[in-house]
Amino acid sequence: MPKKLFIDPATERKSGLITFKSIPVNQYQKSIEEEKKNYSNNDLIRIYRDMAIIREFEIMLNKIKTTNEYNGISYNHPGPAHLSIGQEASAVGMAYNLSVEDLIFGSHRSHGEILAKGLSAIHHLGEDALKTIMAGYMDGKTLSVVEKHQKGSEKDLAIDYLLYGTLAEIFARETGFNKGLGGSMHAFFPPFGIYPNNAIVGGSGDIAVGAALFKQVNKKPGIVVANIGDASMGCGPVWEGMVFSSMDQFRNLWEDDYKGGLPILFNFMNNQYGMGGQTRGETMGYDMLARVGAGVNPEQMHAERIDGYNPLAVIEAFKRKKKLLEAGKGPVLLDTLTYRYSGHSPSDASSYRSKEELDAWMKEDSLKHYEYQLINAGVVSSDQINQIKNQVIEMITHITRLATDDEISPRMNLARQPEIIGSMMFSNESVTRMEEGEPVVNHKLDENPRVKQIKRKERFGLDKNGKPISKIKTYQLRDGIFEAIIDRFYKDPTLIAYGEENREWGGAFAVYRGLTEALPYHRLFNSPISEGAIVGTAIGYGMCGGRVIPEIMYCDFLGRTGDEVFNQLPKWQAMSGNILKMPVVVRVSVGSKYGAQHSQDWSSLVAHIPGLKVVFPATPYDAKGLMNAALQGTDPVIFFESQRIYDIGEFFHKPGVPEEYYEIPIGEPDIKREGNDITILTIGATLYKAIEAAHVLDEKYNMQAEVIDARSLVPFNYVPVLDSVRKTGKILLVSDASSRGSYLKEMASTITELAFDDLDAPPVVIGSRNWIIPAHELETYFFPQVHWILDAIHHKIIPLKGHVAIEDLSDDTLISTMSKGV
Amino acid sequence: MATPVIMPRQGQSVETCIITQWFKQKGEQVKAGDLLFSYETDKAAFDEEVKITGTLLGIFFEEGDEVPVLTNVCVIGEEGESIDEFRPGSSEVKVETDEEEKDEFDTGIGGEVPDEKIKPVGDLKVSPRARKRAGELGVVLNGLSGSGPKGRVIERDVLTVAEKQPFITPLARKKMEKDHLIYNKERYKKGERVTSKDLVTQTDQISMDVERIPLSRVRKIIAENMYRSLHESAQITHHLGADARKIMELRAKVKKEMEMREVPNITLNDMVCFATVRALKQHSDINAHFRGDHIIRYRSVHLGFAVDTDRGLMVPVLKNAQSYSLPEFAIKMKDLAEKCQTGKIDPDLLSPSMASFTVSNLGAYGVEMFTPVLNLPQVGILGVNTIQSRPVSMGNGVMGFVPFIGLSLTYDHRAIDGAPASLFLQSVKEEIENFRENI
Repeated sequence: MPKKLFIDPATERKSGLITFKSIPVNQYQKSIEEEKKNYSNNDLIRIYRDMAIIREFEIMLNKIKTTNEYNGISYNHPGPAHLSIGQEASAVGMAYNLSVEDLIFGSHRSHGEILAKGLSAIHHLGEDALKTIMAGYMDGKTLSVVEKHQKGSEKDLAIDYLLYGTLAEIFARETGFNKGLGGSMHAFFPPFGIYPNNAIVGGSGDIAVGAALFKQVNKKPGIVVANIGDASMGCGPVWEGMVFSSMDQFRNLWEDDYKGGLPILFNFMNNQYGMGGQTRGETMGYDMLARVGAGVNPEQMHAERIDGYNPLAVIEAFKRKKKLLEAGKGPVLLDTLTYRYSGHSPSDASSYRSKEELDAWMKEDSLKHYEYQLINAGVVSSDQINQIKNQVIEMITHITRLATDDEISPRMNLARQPEIIGSMMFSNESVTRMEEGEPVVNHKLDENPRVKQIKRKERFGLDKNGKPISKIKTYQLRDGIFEAIIDRFYKDPTLIAYGEENREWGGAFAVYRGLTEALPYHRLFNSPISEGAIVGTAIGYGMCGGRVIPEIMYCDFLGRTGDEVFNQLPKWQAMSGNILKMPVVVRVSVGSKYGAQHSQDWSSLVAHIPGLKVVFPATPYDAKGLMNAALQGTDPVIFFESQRIYDIGEFFHKPGVPEEYYEIPIGEPDIKREGNDITILTIGATLYKAIEAAHVLDEKYNMQAEVIDARSLVPFNYVPVLDSVRKTGKILLVSDASSRGSYLKEMASTITELAFDDLDAPPVVIGSRNWIIPAHELETYFFPQVHWILDAIHHKIIPLKGHVAIEDLSDDTLISTMSKGV
Repeated sequence: MATPVIMPRQGQSVETCIITQWFKQKGEQVKAGDLLFSYETDKAAFDEEVKITGTLLGIFFEEGDEVPVLTNVCVIGEEGESIDEFRPGSSEVKVETDEEEKDEFDTGIGGEVPDEKIKPVGDLKVSPRARKRAGELGVVLNGLSGSGPKGRVIERDVLTVAEKQPFITPLARKKMEKDHLIYNKERYKKGERVTSKDLVTQTDQISMDVERIPLSRVRKIIAENMYRSLHESAQITHHLGADARKIMELRAKVKKEMEMREVPNITLNDMVCFATVRALKQHSDINAHFRGDHIIRYRSVHLGFAVDTDRGLMVPVLKNAQSYSLPEFAIKMKDLAEKCQTGKIDPDLLSPSMASFTVSNLGAYGVEMFTPVLNLPQVGILGVNTIQSRPVSMGNGVMGFVPFIGLSLTYDHRAIDGAPASLFLQSVKEEIENFRENI
């Protein structure tokens, strides 16, 4: 949208051809002899050792999974173990040149990558640094297990530590790297630059981009590698991540200091299978995966296919690519060709491939082949090789013994501490800025045109005579959100915001109007129409320590970011054993007027998922206070806004919305109107329908309704609602969400449970119809209306004298409608 | 952890058992293997042993209670733990035994009054809140018409009724519903309280002029003892008159002496009692207790004597009554009677098992003859009647009128037969007729 980018019809309509550069395929062909000038013998042997450690680690797991036994240690591991036997050269080559600042993200099959990156980090770090990391991480709990048994050097101890922390995590031990809460598919160790693996195929495809974005925006050293499988090229989030990472604006529009492609390397560990599906020849059409790079940007993502069976080929490629990334030329795509000998998982009978194929690849086994080359080149003797092999077996046996011992490696005691996992779902911290430093802004806050405009507005919606002030002069709900956000932009240097139309337009609903003037590009930018990547990158940004506000323009687009919102955002704090924070506030705008795919209130869907805080303010005062609280916190918050009421003034909080900073605690409902006769609990914009209904009840039926605005869905303090119900004995709950499965049903059920004896009638839930949302002109038949509320009270709670119901609320109709699935 | 002990099921056909004895009391420390209680079915008796060591936190049934099998009988645990959750939801025995205490405010939830019993009969739909408010305001739900959706009784219906009527306690409501009792609507207005004791039958309501008097503790004990006495023993009464001239003379002399000097006021009753003590010394078969499988005969006489007080009948005991001279005897008797009147009597001295025999005197009320009721386990009680003149042959064909004092001896035929009882009564008569004592 930037005006300075002129779209010239003369250029755009010109005839021509798109040309592609050749994409290198397995170009590396050097011998050990040739590489001797680049590597010392020790380097070459270390590469071998690292591969051997990974191989034995995976063999151990395979034996335990298939025979319940390894070297005399009996153990049953019922959980997952997706093994990477065969892929060791790819993993070690990938990690060889990475520093601790370089981050890797993984997949379900990442044990090898974790170990390779860890071994590389141990090699690069000094003994003191290692000591500090090991002693500090989780109060040295993991270290205390291994240090008793290791009498060697600090580096030897660190290797034990790495192997043990990983294996204990796989076996769900509290001494594991993530207290056993991550497990095989989610083990990670940030101090060594090992970031989360991901059990969802391609899950790291956009999260890793967010980590690269964090590095770019906050000028952090290092690159980010997303180790994902070849089959993940079929996943939307991976494409969205690649598209996001290759946005032109990074090079064209971002300010000089921040210019440059994101330092992200999509490393497709191409083992040529996705479950049993063969990517080349069956489930994909790319012929060679590296070809895809050519479709993403003119640099073709610097794509290459490299021989992942040769560790030196991988090392060489990563060395070159890292340089490119450090020079701001990302993103990069590598098609690292490899092969897994084990199945997708140990339960996989490999019925989809032939024995000949397996034998052919095993014949060229990377470990054996490299060993042969080393011996041939005189780098190492057979005896030395055997010595290394024996040491590795001894090491893995020792670690396995420790990690399978219930005394040494206990699991979380949920019987004794039943709340321990619950207490990790949120970090609940109050942090003004995620990092110290001066936030980069374009001008002083009071010079901002929007800030100046708001200064002239009335911060309470009614004048002295109780008459509503004209909309244009009123401080609106969108102003409340804006004030909180711009305030945080001037406090927290890490805060960034993006989404569709976030910049010049000021957001589709003018919430961000004025932000463009205040903020440089790297803090506020337009994203591609990639909801998955919008949230996914925010997750990566948040877990690296930055605060971020991704925006989903319409609630209906939440489906587009389902995996990110349901599987990623809520999980990482607890799955990391509270190592990570997730200060991500996802703004979600609930529409109206635009029909079936642009008007849905899906707050119930996210409220169902453990690990998300969910708020839905309906007044300017609440919007500002809740946004302040969300941005002060360290937890993921889904922040719902309603397009019906962006322009609404403040009618409840006198004398108006405060100019200064304040927080409204997430989880506290608010009594918007007091009354003794019936309670109406609302979520979102239906607050105003409830207030209208309350007026009718007062005027026509002499009933005083107490209207409570839930404000938050998760967490939620039921006490004020229960107190109200104790007083009134009656409660009606209303929101714009379709009634079936509405979160209000959960609330009604909880209220019934907690206040049963106080209820004079069943709690009645009013939601929208279980239909598609019709055109705006017909919306009154779909969304809850004032008369629905009155009819429901009359029919189900307390007959209103003289009231004539319009809606058919009979039990028979309800049963019949439900039986039709409507 | 508090653990309930259930009434075991002894055989498939057994539905209830009776607790025959508790070996442990509430609050007592118990350890595994101790005898806890014994119980019986209609066919056999059993002992229940303690299975876990701890404190006996509460007992839900008493000796003699009939308990459905598998019902919680008591709870063992650590001191301070709550036992409410184990309390059997329905215990008809308990509800009935302790009316006075149970007739307090009670929400009806989890308490002694099972919820289903205050549920209205029939198809009446009542909101939980209306039911709760009815409990708080003492409104009977029966017969209410609901103004809520589908005729549901809702809070406002209860409030409307509560505006007009007194507070009816939960037990009263339960009784009203169960036993079809009513209260006098003329008498109890809003703001007043109707308890189960204020309930009357429909017939009472018609006759109107009734008053219900709650039983005092003393009344309850008397009622219980008297009923048990007649229920459990074989009582028979013999009547006999004794020539009262000697004691009347002595009484006149006492009165005269009292005008002149400080002497104890020795009444006719003192004299009769004194005579009885002497007779008892000669007849230890009636100066005795009957204890079911054996009899205790007392060498000394511990004389119980009935005293009418404001709080009801009391029977203090004068221990070792045979050891006193008549004046001492009279002083002691007077002292004990006064202590009963003023409520300062040692309660131990009121126990029926303290006395070996009792005298009850209704002569002052002009009673000519009555059948006193035994104070079990005592074997005998002597009723003393008014003095009446009877024609008596004075010899030589001359008839004269002689004052006779009536004596009514009730004895327990389980312990003693008619002849020895009669011999004792004769002894009393002789002692009275030959009464010769210093004052």
